[in-house]
Amino acid sequence: MNYQFKWSVLWSGQSGVWLLQGLITTVEISALAWVLAAALGILSGALRTVPWKPARALATSYVEFFRNVPLLVWMFFWYFGVPPLLPRAIQDWIFNHGAEFWAGMFALGVYHGARMSEVIRSGIQAIPRTQFEASVAMGLTTFQAYRLVIVPIALRLIVPPATSESLNLLKNSSVALTISVAELTFQTRQIETYTAKAIEALTAGTVIYLVLCVGIAAIMARVERRFAIPGLIARGG
Amino acid sequence: MKRMLSVVVAVALALSLASSVGAQQDTLAKVKDSGVLTIGTRTGSPPFAYVNKNNEWVGFSIDLVEMLVKPEVQKAVGKSIKIEKKESTPPTRIPLLSSNAVDLIAGTMTDTPQRREAVDFSLTFFYTGAQFLVKKGSPIKGVNDLAGRRVAAQQGATNAKIIREKYPQAQLREFPDQPAAFQALLQGQVDTYTNDGIQLYGLKAKAPKPDEWDVVGDFYSEEPYGMAMRKGDAKFKAAVDAGLRNGFESGKYFEIYEKWFGPKGELPYPMTPQVKAYLLKQIGK
Amino acid sequence: MADVAIRFKDVSKWFGKLKVLSDINLAVVAGEVVVVCGPSGSGKSTLIRCVNGLEGIQGGDLVVLGESIARPGVSMSGLRTRVGMVFQSFNLFPHMTVLQNITLAPVKVRGLGAAEAEKTARALLERVRIPDKADHYPANLSGGQQQRVAIARALAMQPKIMLFDEPTSALDPEMINEVLDVMTDLAKDGMTMMVVTHEMGFARRVAHRVVFMDEGRVVEEATPEAFFAAARSDRAKEFLSKILSH
Repeated sequence: MNYQFKWSVLWSGQSGVWLLQGLITTVEISALAWVLAAALGILSGALRTVPWKPARALATSYVEFFRNVPLLVWMFFWYFGVPPLLPRAIQDWIFNHGAEFWAGMFALGVYHGARMSEVIRSGIQAIPRTQFEASVAMGLTTFQAYRLVIVPIALRLIVPPATSESLNLLKNSSVALTISVAELTFQTRQIETYTAKAIEALTAGTVIYLVLCVGIAAIMARVERRFAIPGLIARGG
Repeated sequence: MKRMLSVVVAVALALSLASSVGAQQDTLAKVKDSGVLTIGTRTGSPPFAYVNKNNEWVGFSIDLVEMLVKPEVQKAVGKSIKIEKKESTPPTRIPLLSSNAVDLIAGTMTDTPQRREAVDFSLTFFYTGAQFLVKKGSPIKGVNDLAGRRVAAQQGATNAKIIREKYPQAQLREFPDQPAAFQALLQGQVDTYTNDGIQLYGLKAKAPKPDEWDVVGDFYSEEPYGMAMRKGDAKFKAAVDAGLRNGFESGKYFEIYEKWFGPKGELPYPMTPQVKAYLLKQIGK
Repeated sequence: MADVAIRFKDVSKWFGKLKVLSDINLAVVAGEVVVVCGPSGSGKSTLIRCVNGLEGIQGGDLVVLGESIARPGVSMSGLRTRVGMVFQSFNLFPHMTVLQNITLAPVKVRGLGAAEAEKTARALLERVRIPDKADHYPANLSGGQQQRVAIARALAMQPKIMLFDEPTSALDPEMINEVLDVMTDLAKDGMTMMVVTHEMGFARRVAHRVVFMDEGRVVEEATPEAFFAAARSDRAKEFLSKILSH
């Protein structure tokens, strides 16, 4: 190999600032999308198990529709497909105020919400039906039974698969660069363009993603221990 | 991540190919032996090099090789030769050249100082520069009207770099590929799209209503297209340059230009006096 | 005669094409303890699950505490605050402490203050004889203790009727009596109870009446003395011979 490594490109010039900006954007878009995905996932995952057919059908169509179309397509959908439905003045306003970021956030959140829904549903279905019966037999409504008993138990069961789904979300946030969101992968490419040092730039990006993922996994492991159901053997993860 | 991986693989491939080339090859000797000059060109970059409706691989760059470069190379090797074409894209063209898979890149490659570290370039055979595609009647007339405007560019392009550094009042939106950037312009997500003028004329021609769009502004970056060769092969470079020089001097070059970029050509792109002067200046006129 | 707490009138129920309850006619008066027994698949669990609406009925009428629950639009949640139920599998909520299990419904459904609910809960734990387990999680209790917590949890809503669906079937033999003792206390205090069980000793000592079911029908209804001394039907005799020989 006669490739000349030049790691200094990562902190000389503007590279450091770009990496930091990319990191912040990646964390922001992923965190907001995660909240949206968790909310949609819990709602639709729960609806898929309730004893009322129209609600199940609605939730199932959401899940199948959104998770079976590639994320890239959803990015374009939210960026190109949704704004024309709005009045021209509002369009102009959002185009001047980070439409790319918000379109990317919705695409990521709604897509991963559908995937999270499957995780939540499997968690709920792992709970014996009699838990639900015991809840309503005490006078709780179906909604109360889900809110106070079923969902809290399910959430504790699904921490490991939810963690890997969260990591997928973080990594998939890089797809937002296709609609001009200057996140981490975008910035590593930028450094590559400026310095022609592809290996250094890609290594920096990879290391940052790795640190983020390991950090999230560690936090989720703490959450799992903190909220573990006494007596249930904690699963590895 | 998958995309990053493929970039890593491409880079690794390029490095291994680059390092595998030992002694400099004498291209003219190789062509003399085989009777074939292999060029790396494009299949989808009309009108420079593309496969047309009749399934023929044609274009402006290919014509230049066939009509101007080939006679000079034949003169230099003293025999009749054949031109063979191979597909070469921006990420593969330099590795293909380094590994002797092709002898000459003739497509849409911009001659830049960074690339000159890896390859030699012929005389410039086409000259364009960054301009703006806007809706007719737009207040944007050039690079000085960008304050507060949303400007789309292709990520990694030289012009994106210039806008970011010299015109920070513009809201730059960088897209990885041209179709997305153009779509953003059509729908109003951005006010203008900046790229090489020739690319913008191509887009305008493909727009649903070409008359609604204008290409505006002076070139604020220079994009001279050249043919690339292996570095340090002076005899071959002399033959290629001689072919182009003859074309400029005899006017044959301008006939070929007219065929592709004239009013009846594949993509009308009138040559400005500024561009003509630049091309002729290369041969001291 | 005392007030009728539960009245089945020609009640029928199907699971798909399978008829699981056939023309049930049965009345339980306030303060009465009725033991329902029968071979498995006889419909006895389904029968008591109808009383608090966990199962719907398709024919006839079922009146609980003066209200028909077969009518559409009847508030199940309201009914269930007056009818407690204890399950075979305890069904304590594993993510809550014993105290939280007991106070959940009083606070969320009846709107009781937390302090008051806790006071009631501690009194109930006293009553089921495990006052020291308030802050434990269900997984740290024995089966018998869990079932007693489940009884306390049902009682916390101050129900008028208690339903027991095989409350001792999942217990190790040495724990059965601690649960039956609590149920006996409850009966002595005058609670209206329907109990599905195979514990014939409990039936003999505590029940006012035994109902024997087979194939979705009520085959016999008698006082425990009469039932155990001289069951009239062949099915009941066969059932008793099997169960008492154990």
